[in-house]
Amino acid sequence: MANALQSGVVPVTDSRSSKPDTDTEFLTQVGAGAVLRGALLKLLEVRSEDPIGFLADHFGNLAQSLENGDSGSAVEGDKKKQHQQQALQSSEEQNQHARALWHLTQAHHSQRSAFNNNVAVAFSLLSRGGRKRKLGLKGRVYTELLRRVCRDGGVAEPVSAPLIKKLHCQDHEAVPFDLFRHAVLTCFVFADFVRKSRSLFETVSPSDGILCRAVLGSLRDALETTGCSDPARYLEASAKLTPGRLAQAMDRAQTLASGTPSTHMGQEEFIEEASALFISRVKLVS
Amino acid sequence: MRQLNCRLGYRPNHKPVTYSQQVIRNIRLSMCDNVLACTVKTPVALQIGDVKTDTARPGVFVIDVAFPQSVNLQEISFKNYYTAFLNVRLQKVDPESPESGAQWVTCLRNHCLMPNPHTEEGSQDYFSIYRQQMLMEPDNVTSVRLILRQPSSVWLNFTLEDIKITECGTENSEKSSSWFSNLTPVEQPMNLQAGLPDPEKVSSCIQQMWALTEVMQTNQTSARVGRFDVDGCYDINLLSYT
Repeated sequence: MANALQSGVVPVTDSRSSKPDTDTEFLTQVGAGAVLRGALLKLLEVRSEDPIGFLADHFGNLAQSLENGDSGSAVEGDKKKQHQQQALQSSEEQNQHARALWHLTQAHHSQRSAFNNNVAVAFSLLSRGGRKRKLGLKGRVYTELLRRVCRDGGVAEPVSAPLIKKLHCQDHEAVPFDLFRHAVLTCFVFADFVRKSRSLFETVSPSDGILCRAVLGSLRDALETTGCSDPARYLEASAKLTPGRLAQAMDRAQTLASGTPSTHMGQEEFIEEASALFISRVKLVS
Repeated sequence: MRQLNCRLGYRPNHKPVTYSQQVIRNIRLSMCDNVLACTVKTPVALQIGDVKTDTARPGVFVIDVAFPQSVNLQEISFKNYYTAFLNVRLQKVDPESPESGAQWVTCLRNHCLMPNPHTEEGSQDYFSIYRQQMLMEPDNVTSVRLILRQPSSVWLNFTLEDIKITECGTENSEKSSSWFSNLTPVEQPMNLQAGLPDPEKVSSCIQQMWALTEVMQTNQTSARVGRFDVDGCYDINLLSYT
């Protein structure tokens, strides 16, 4: 067996230098080193949570862009060319859209510097624009992106609609970077918020709607406490959310409502009320 | 260290001012907005003999602090600069009988700032004197007199810097203590009804939701799209009623 392996690896010394002899030589000829270096640099820049998935996507995108480039150069005839170019443009736009979205999903919003980096990259990708090369992000693209972020985060349309309404921009308006960053961050945080409220409902829901309302009431209370910027208020609000205090609140609600018939609260209703607490604190874009 | 009297050849051990002391003090003072506006007069030296010709350095300084109206004091805070002992006297007016003149009372006697007047310990520390430490209630005060004493001849100068006087704020202290007293101690068993969901899980979910909302609020930007701006000003026709 050893002999067989060895015979496979023995280099054949021939005069033709262009034919690669070993795997290493093949790779260097093809230029794999440069491609890999580029991929690793991109990975370090983006700081993705799933590095293998990122690399897979990166190579896929690279292959796709090479394909698009090839198809663009092989067109004949004026009309056909124009049509192709238009189709290319819209598909390029969609491509850019998809790539920007993918960049944004690479780092979680809690990793602040990585997330800010990715937002900057996505902004520059989207504001490069079509043939005219005008700078600035269009309102239409921005609103569409926010909708996609909410949808991909698992938030249903009716739940995210009020948030989009507060954050959206008209189609013709130019969106500055600060606003873009704030809105994208808000959408990601909202997606997390909805996910958390769903799990909260699952924890509380075996009991009736009274407890759900009591729990939401505590959250509203805590949010109202930190309305002003006094740092001591944060301590006060967090004191209201300790397990002891919440248990007391739920106990009190149950004893108070022991006489009345139990009202059931559905998941959608719960999530709607919770998101209303969040959305009411989002500043309107003007 | 420029204060050293080199003739004596004395080398005290150097104690650096702690940065954390200053930070804590600034946080505390910025949290309560009751710092009073007052005029701090220049220190006056008390000396026997002629001030100009006598070569001996004074060992006593007096700093007067005057208020525009009579106040109730909560705290006197300052940064020490090589003062060893401090006496504090207050000039109080009687609110019931304003025609009887203001009286001077001693509220702090021989308060030690430097345990050993010859060494550096406590020489540049931050101090606070609270109303609980004072001999008399510091109410209806029109003037504060700080009497500084430094018996050691090692130091060239001594004084108090950055004197801040805080007024008695009753609402703040009550508010902050109300939720403190409501915290349930862990050992106390709670009589809860059966069938309640696990408070730990509920609490952790709600705390995360609260934190997410706070993150969103703190990241709000003041950037505007300029929807209603017409050449940088508002046009009345473009304003909407929503």
